[in-house]
Amino acid sequence: MVEAVAVASGKGGTGKTTATLALGMALAERYDVTVVDADTGMANLLFHAGLADAPVTLHDLLLDDADVAVDDAVYHRFGMDVVPCGTSLDAFREADPTRLRDVVAELARDTDVLLLDSPAALGSVSAVLPVVLADRVVVVLQPTVPALSDGLKVQEYARSYGTDGAGVLFNKVHDGDSVERIADRTERYFDGPVLASVPDADAAREARDAGEPLLAYAPASAAAEAFREAAAGIEIRDEPAEDVAARFRSAVVPEQP
Amino acid sequence: MRLPRGDLVRSRTATAPGDALAWALDADHTGYLVLEPADAVLGDGDDACVLTIADGVPRLAYHTGTERGGAPALADVAGAGPYSVDCYAVDRSALADVTDTDELTVSPGAPAERLAADSALAERTRVAAPDEWTAEPASPADPVEAFLADEERLDAIRDRAREEARRKAREWDLTDALVDGDEN
Ligand SMILES: Nc1ncnc2c1ncn2[C@@H]1O[C@H](COP(=O)(O)OP(=O)(O)O)[C@@H](O)[C@H]1O
Ligand SMILES: [Mg+2]
Repeated sequence: MVEAVAVASGKGGTGKTTATLALGMALAERYDVTVVDADTGMANLLFHAGLADAPVTLHDLLLDDADVAVDDAVYHRFGMDVVPCGTSLDAFREADPTRLRDVVAELARDTDVLLLDSPAALGSVSAVLPVVLADRVVVVLQPTVPALSDGLKVQEYARSYGTDGAGVLFNKVHDGDSVERIADRTERYFDGPVLASVPDADAAREARDAGEPLLAYAPASAAAEAFREAAAGIEIRDEPAEDVAARFRSAVVPEQP
Repeated sequence: MRLPRGDLVRSRTATAPGDALAWALDADHTGYLVLEPADAVLGDGDDACVLTIADGVPRLAYHTGTERGGAPALADVAGAGPYSVDCYAVDRSALADVTDTDELTVSPGAPAERLAADSALAERTRVAAPDEWTAEPASPADPVEAFLADEERLDAIRDRAREEARRKAREWDLTDALVDGDEN
């Protein structure tokens, strides 16, 4: 079985990458998990996962004349398979975003959960593709008006492409933020439940600086606990891996000029 | 909102209606204020915020274009200056006939705060307001709560996003991936 879940937000810095790795580690206790840095224009998952020096990344797989196998860009770290993406702008320019479909299709053959760390913006094919390809989306929100407004936009894009909502995750929540009071209304506008409310925590920043996912760096922190709670709220659906792989392969994605 | 006809007693163009609100407060004005963004005056016109004032204190707001009342009506003209600001005087008894519904009421300091960013004036207005006006649970104080309570605004964001998603899908050749891609 396999399910692809995009972690998106519509805004940079809300904690998508932090959340992708945290949810990935939590889900890895029950499932085979693969996380992919699908934010190919502003990749940073490699820094969060201690893979800054990874010799082969998703970028290499997206080149038209790719001469590496998908497996070469898969690193087993923190109990998950991690596919980082490089940060070179040249590589981003040369990459063919639509090849992401084939990469995801291949990864889907051999895992239970695929988490796609998605781009912040929605302004290009490469930016929307993770949301288009995924079965479901987790929207990461900070409890602020601009973040909610951008999150709504992502949610609506996802709906337009038939991508279901797995829920929303409030992150960087400060004392005195009104998350409890707004949860009901949030659920009225977003698909799926409010999965958790993750406090703003120095541990998250320190983890990033240490090149480790939060759940490895500070597993006992309140923020890590909240991410585990969120992961517990995501029911992974049972779909035969081959069906999903086939669906990705046949997903309608235009050839790039 | 149905208002009795009033007498125009003051008319100005200003970047923000702070002066008019301060004037109304100091003059214990009773009547209403019509606040129209200057670009709307040149256009087809139906884009004004009407604000009733009783003894100098704002009470009800209504936007003639969006037909929204209360704080959303203020939001519809906030930052849209310069405005033409017309002050009309109305008999207190006539104004008392206008029903205060929750949808229309604004908290006394809200116009000064939201339209003129003048918190000193807002505070002065709150002090002058009858106790029961300031005690009322007006729109939620927390901006995130207020945002999520503003269904029309949220629906508008979603409608716009949906429309944009379709337009972009056409641009990117992704219409076949849309749920109802065949409709276009
Ligand atoms: N709960 C949190 N508390 C404090 N800092 C956080 C939290 N979550 C993420 N951060 C920090 O915020 C920054 C942006 O997070 P990141 O996950 O890279 O966001 P995104 O991928 O959405 O751009 C990073 O420095 C990260 O360590
Ligand atoms: Mg990121």
